[in-house]
Amino acid sequence: MNAKSVPSAASFTARPAVWVVAWLVAWFLARLVLEGATVPTWGRVAAALAPVPVAAVALLSIVRSARDLDELERRIQLEALAIAFLLTMLLLMTLGLIELAVALNPDDWSYRHVWAMLPVLYFAGLAWTRRRYA
Amino acid sequence: MKNRLKVLRAERDWSQADLAERLEVSRQTVNSIETGKYDPSLPLAFRIGRLFGRPVEEIFIDGGDQ
Repeated sequence: MNAKSVPSAASFTARPAVWVVAWLVAWFLARLVLEGATVPTWGRVAAALAPVPVAAVALLSIVRSARDLDELERRIQLEALAIAFLLTMLLLMTLGLIELAVALNPDDWSYRHVWAMLPVLYFAGLAWTRRRYA
Repeated sequence: MKNRLKVLRAERDWSQADLAERLEVSRQTVNSIETGKYDPSLPLAFRIGRLFGRPVEEIFIDGGDQ
């Protein structure tokens, strides 16, 4: 059979996985450099921004991969993103409201902590949506 | 929406993977259509019709607004 093969959900996550791993490595390396006290300011800024281009390539790879998906998998991704968006809005609104009442500790609730919750919410949405169509 | 996809596939002795490959979709898509969890787009429905040599309305049964 010569029909064009359609990538499964597994290959969708596998292809950009290399870039996502590179992104995480860059992020941890940046944190490592930034925790070193002897690094000058320009070095700290460069280290802080180093993961950004890697993250951009990883995200672009995810978008490219999504174009090859079949119609059901696209719907699953769309619903997962919609769930993640709504949960993110809820999370940020909740944090904003709590912040009106009490000062949140920036060591626990700064942007660098909150952004990491967004992929978690996306994967939660993805798991829920996949179960719906399984 | 109900459909006769599973019956038509069984008549040809195709697995879900076989049908998925012929339709250029994932096996999960075929499974979701067969179980009625997902209604295919119009282009995919026509592709299914062409593959089985039957009109779309013979494969997909309109249950009305449920």
